Amino acid sequence: MTRSEKLYTANIIDTVIFRSLGKSPSPQLRSLKQAVAEAGTELWVSPSIYRELTNYGEDPPRNPYLDTGIEEGWIRVATSLPNNRNTAFDSVTDPVEQAQHLADEYLNQQSKYPSTNNWRDASLVALAVRLFEQNTRIRVITHTADKALAQACARIPPEFGYYDIESRYYNPPQKAKQQFPTVESLSWSTK
Amino acid sequence: MSYDTEHVRNAGNGPAMITGLPTFTDLLTNTNLADLYTAIRQSPGVTAPELIDQVAVSKKTVYEYLHRLERAGLISETENNGGASTYDAEEFELTLTIRGIEITITPKLVAVIAQSDEYPIIKRVCDEHGFVTFALAHDLINAHSDGDVTIRQIATLADLSHGTTYDLLEALYEIHNLGDDDPTPTIYTPDDVVDDDLQSELTDE
Repeated sequence: MTRSEKLYTANIIDTVIFRSLGKSPSPQLRSLKQAVAEAGTELWVSPSIYRELTNYGEDPPRNPYLDTGIEEGWIRVATSLPNNRNTAFDSVTDPVEQAQHLADEYLNQQSKYPSTNNWRDASLVALAVRLFEQNTRIRVITHTADKALAQACARIPPEFGYYDIESRYYNPPQKAKQQFPTVESLSWSTK
Repeated sequence: MSYDTEHVRNAGNGPAMITGLPTFTDLLTNTNLADLYTAIRQSPGVTAPELIDQVAVSKKTVYEYLHRLERAGLISETENNGGASTYDAEEFELTLTIRGIEITITPKLVAVIAQSDEYPIIKRVCDEHGFVTFALAHDLINAHSDGDVTIRQIATLADLSHGTTYDLLEALYEIHNLGDDDPTPTIYTPDDVVDDDLQSELTDE
């Protein structure tokens, strides 16, 4: 058995991808559920992305994009990620928190409007590093429609020794409607 | 006719006085007026009867709007060889600086306003957040297509919810045909992006 055959693939999904698929029930979400099963993977979101998609106007609040998949067991919400944006990088020792800080800085550096990026963007990178830290036989695919964030997802984890990562960038974002809910999209490429 | 103040400049000609600021403002908020201006801009030398066939307002309103646009200097009227009146649109450029970000209002933006019946999110953002916010989001979404800003940054900078930002983004990508032509997503791997010592570079800064 080769090394790649032993590896489990996790997919980390950004908010914009779920928005493009629409609220449950939708044909795209049904296709996604089937593709997840066929690809033998799970979809992961950070807690901040879960909150971003939640409708707090309902009582109780409900997430029309994710709750069905979570209840059915093919979407997973990570436990809380570090949230100390103001902590100096030098004083941080946790790799997950370090990754989030590095991603934050990287995005500021890449942006046309420096120092205005959103801390939630960096949560994708932090979640990828956490999955690597907690699982020795894993590879990660990230999905987003932001170019700099897509590059950060492939750029930051190697700083911590994790190279089994692919980042998929959907431009235009609505490309995800057709291209994301497929087995190919959720599977490690041969690139 | 042209505009030139600190903010409004005719894109093609020299400076002149603003004479039609109320009509200029209407152009940014009245879908039908924007539609008529855009139709003239897209078909230089168009006649009034041709415009009546193209736009969704009555004949009387077309003539009223043509008069308003001409008085404001946003279009010019000439006669063709057959003696019929023909119309040409004037280019313009309005620059504002909002929250440190420069926003440019041009006929391209008016053409988007003209499509707000087809894309209700445009009208909703203009009505609920104001035209300037819409113009800011429009510029930021164009920057997003170049990879210069993230969707969450657009939401923060324009003070829109993430959901509204996404709906607007989808509409404007469609209208301007933004994004690449490849049907599949771009895949980045560490080999594509890892080059130098990122930690040192970023933490030194």
